[in-house]
Amino acid sequence: MTTARGEAARPTAPPAPSVEGLDDLLRSMADDEFVIGFSDSEWTGIAPLLEEDIAMSSLAQDELGHAQALYGLLAGVTGAVDADTLAYDREPTDYRHARLLDHGRGDWAMTIARRYLYETADAVRLRALTTGTWLPLAELVGKLVREERYHLMHVGLWLERLASTAGEPRDRLIAALESLGPDAGTVFTPLPGEPALVEAGILERPMAGLEIAWRAEVAPVFDRLALPAPPPTRDPARGRTDHGQAFDWLHGEFTSVRRSDPGATW
Amino acid sequence: MTSGARRAAKVPPALEAWEVFRQEKDGDPMRHGGSVMAPDAELATHYARELFGRRQESVRLWIVRRADVVDLHDPDLLQPPLDRSFKKPGGYVMRDKLAAARAAAGQAKPKARAR
Repeated sequence: MTTARGEAARPTAPPAPSVEGLDDLLRSMADDEFVIGFSDSEWTGIAPLLEEDIAMSSLAQDELGHAQALYGLLAGVTGAVDADTLAYDREPTDYRHARLLDHGRGDWAMTIARRYLYETADAVRLRALTTGTWLPLAELVGKLVREERYHLMHVGLWLERLASTAGEPRDRLIAALESLGPDAGTVFTPLPGEPALVEAGILERPMAGLEIAWRAEVAPVFDRLALPAPPPTRDPARGRTDHGQAFDWLHGEFTSVRRSDPGATW
Repeated sequence: MTSGARRAAKVPPALEAWEVFRQEKDGDPMRHGGSVMAPDAELATHYARELFGRRQESVRLWIVRRADVVDLHDPDLLQPPLDRSFKKPGGYVMRDKLAAARAAAGQAKPKARAR
């Protein structure tokens, strides 16, 4: 690789020190973004108002774009053909997204609650990767963070609106948070290759530590809005496996076109 | 509950129109892009961003509540009935007068300047 003049001192990307750990990390992140992106795209055409329809659709597209970039890195690490193969050609049991995202679209309050819990957790996870030693990932994360900033602003605004509007909006939001709460922490399900990732400096600290940071960050918001903060995680060991019937259905949906003509060039 | 009653439950916040102006690149004038419907300035900003900025087509947006725009749409003020063509820069043709003045002074019409 040629280096631009003046950049000779800059350390080059070290080869992936633990391919297996990277595989776990990239797949979990990409699957998270892919599943929430696809799930939220179900609002296209039916969101509460036209402008919000466009906003939510655009946000969902952003997440699919993030998934594509992460699948691209994953393909480089695992030797998979391309991002599409990883996104569409796996069995439902091979996906490693957080169980939080197995809760379907639901009503608007459910979508906002799910997105708020996920976005805040994702922000903490991304921050733990920005200073990583594997440059391809650290650089991508730097870009993702800039887009996720707007996502957080938008969903935070909606959380506030629903929480502070007495009656149905607030009641539905609380019901959604109570239903999602026990699965919210699954974004931080420990990864099989995690110790190696931390040792290699790719991941700043273990997922357990990130979960503590995340809970400390969201607690003041839930407190201020008098909302139920997420309780301890239910069945944390299986937080990214055993997705169940809800995901089987979603998987059937998002692979349906691809399966209609396997191997076609679109 | 103290934080739960900012708005009455069954009265959805009214949507209003916000006009969006966009700048394509630094130094360009702000041009009217269109409008969005939103219940408040915050959501109007988000929606303006989505409709007029999500493809990186703008470097700056101005979002203005349509009700705050001073609207002047009065034919007496803007389209008065009398002939006002003499106020238009194109309404006063100099060509014939210049030609007459040159003829009186015995000068030829200057040639086009070389580049």
